Amino acid sequence: MERSAIFPKSRFQEFFDLMQEFGDVFAPRRVSEKSFSFKQVKNPSEIAFEALRTILPPKKFFFQQRETIISYDENGVRETKPKVSPQVLFGLHPCDLAGLGIMDKVYSASPPDPHYMARRQATLLVGLSCMPDKHCFCKAMGTDSPTSDYDLFLTDIGEDYFVQIHTPIGLQMVGSKKELFSGSDETKSQAFKDFWTTRDQAFTSHFQSENLPAIMDMEWDNKVWDELGNRCLSCGNCTPVCPTCYCFDMVDVASLHAQAGERVREWDSCQFVGFAKVAGDTNFRPGPVDRLKFWYRHKLHGFEDPHGLPTCVGCGRCTESCPAGIDDIVSVVLRLQGKPSVLISDRTTGATNSDCCGSDGGCGSGCGGCGSTHGSTSGGSPGCGGTDTGGHPHA
Amino acid sequence: MHSQLSPTPFLPTRAVIRSIIPMSTDNYLFQFRIDEPGDLVNCAPGQFVQLWIPGAGEAPISVCSGEIDGVLELCVRKTGRVTDALFNLNEGDWVGIRGPYGTGFPVDEYRGKDLVLIAGGLGIAPVRSLLQYVLNHREEFGKLTLIYGMRHSQQLLFRQELKVLLRRQDMHVYIAAEEVVGPDLPSVSWQLGRVTDMIKLAEIDEGFLSAICGPPVMYKFVVAELLKKGLKDNNIWLSLERHMKCAVGKCGHCFVGGTFTCREGPVFRMDTLRFLPEVIECS
Repeated sequence: MERSAIFPKSRFQEFFDLMQEFGDVFAPRRVSEKSFSFKQVKNPSEIAFEALRTILPPKKFFFQQRETIISYDENGVRETKPKVSPQVLFGLHPCDLAGLGIMDKVYSASPPDPHYMARRQATLLVGLSCMPDKHCFCKAMGTDSPTSDYDLFLTDIGEDYFVQIHTPIGLQMVGSKKELFSGSDETKSQAFKDFWTTRDQAFTSHFQSENLPAIMDMEWDNKVWDELGNRCLSCGNCTPVCPTCYCFDMVDVASLHAQAGERVREWDSCQFVGFAKVAGDTNFRPGPVDRLKFWYRHKLHGFEDPHGLPTCVGCGRCTESCPAGIDDIVSVVLRLQGKPSVLISDRTTGATNSDCCGSDGGCGSGCGGCGSTHGSTSGGSPGCGGTDTGGHPHA
Repeated sequence: MHSQLSPTPFLPTRAVIRSIIPMSTDNYLFQFRIDEPGDLVNCAPGQFVQLWIPGAGEAPISVCSGEIDGVLELCVRKTGRVTDALFNLNEGDWVGIRGPYGTGFPVDEYRGKDLVLIAGGLGIAPVRSLLQYVLNHREEFGKLTLIYGMRHSQQLLFRQELKVLLRRQDMHVYIAAEEVVGPDLPSVSWQLGRVTDMIKLAEIDEGFLSAICGPPVMYKFVVAELLKKGLKDNNIWLSLERHMKCAVGKCGHCFVGGTFTCREGPVFRMDTLRFLPEVIECS
């Protein structure tokens, strides 16, 4: 059974202090005029409460963009243990929580990934309610309310925060500062219900997700894929910003004398030309059309096996960060369903991606558009401009 | 969520190169001695391992020996970064190996049935693991046919072993190359042609089960020919090639549709692939 509590917004400093007792606090911070990034905060004034979507999703805290898994030298080969310290992520919206839920499923599935799991187990998740903008479609994907993957969830009900307590450790947090929290009363509970009703009605982007897998199969040869794929730059922006894109590459980084080195895991993107390449230069997805279609299928069809879920959570990050304006999932789905739709590129004045690339360290460490994700392994930059440089050494 | 953390699945075991046997100009058979083989001793025909050359990286390689008894055999073509590095190593050098991974050929389903094994080029490597298993338990299987094709006769692998196989009375061997030149192989009835031509020649009927491994471009034609012979697609098993990076169902590189080739495959029954896109078509 879920418990709840209330605390006044005016006393947020105390709630912040409480979070700090449980670990370093990370929350959305404004990093440019239009963009936000999850960064450590030492003071509540640094938190951007208005942030709707950060450039990179919170997966970066657990599935790091670049991480040494194994190191070797003359004395042998050994596992590099992750450096873990307790942390509290604050300000996660329902889509991000749902995204982490999917990441958890993938990385806890046998064999579990100890690097991911160690960080996940050392982290508390504190969610925060939000109001959708034109890119949000979590309602369509059924991820618009917090489900299972959080410790506390704060709903903004005016003067107060309504706190849903979901885990024993969440209860411990609240219990350790009894003077801050009070029980909910009828008015506050009603305010909570009203908030979620209002929010539900605020969505402007929506589609029916019923039978989406069947529709994705049925429309595999739809001409929309050619149309969009031919505009795709293969920059790979859509994958680092996705809360559920979990694909990675493993590369060796050797020291100059070649006797020692590391095996490093880094984010990879199915939009890069070398992703599905095998020996003899055979490529199962040679063109941007193949790759874009594959990505859409993965997001909306989900795996037949072993996870059985669509992996899109409706956060709208890909729509916002696509420089070609083709990752407009809502429009694409509506078109596949045979309903009238307008591509986002025709609705707006262009992608906001330039804000992302120009401004943020967080982006530099993850945005495929900058080519940084793969620059080190390929020598070239398969991330930029869709040139077929064959990003991956293969054997 | 809160559980004891296990060691990383990416940690390889140390394998020392015991011998290197050239098979053709760019294909060598590597024999590795593994002191702590762990699960590798239970490697089934058709499974693969991740071969790691420190500094170069990892590549998925099919195991080509039927039974592993402290020695693991990999037949490798020099074709990329990792295999280039392997070809620069000498006997006595060490590499890392982890595995075995994936689902191999369904030996239990094959048992008691007639069997046709079809290999194209380096596809002979995983097929050899199955062949060795079948020959080690010959009485448990019915008729046995091996069809092995390659582009050029100089690319013939396992020449000495094939000479022995050709003399066996309890199996049929068909070897074909699209170009035959160079030293002839005594008593090898070279055929000029392709794997598909050999299927036409071979005495196989709808009662046979099949195992296929070859370059991706080969499958479409081979499957069509087998169907003409009367085999049903639930009697055809294919080993699909993908570049697995993690081999434990996470990295996404081996996706076929929504299926991890490293776990559900690399060997798939043809009828289970029918509903998946991007299976064997490629550029």
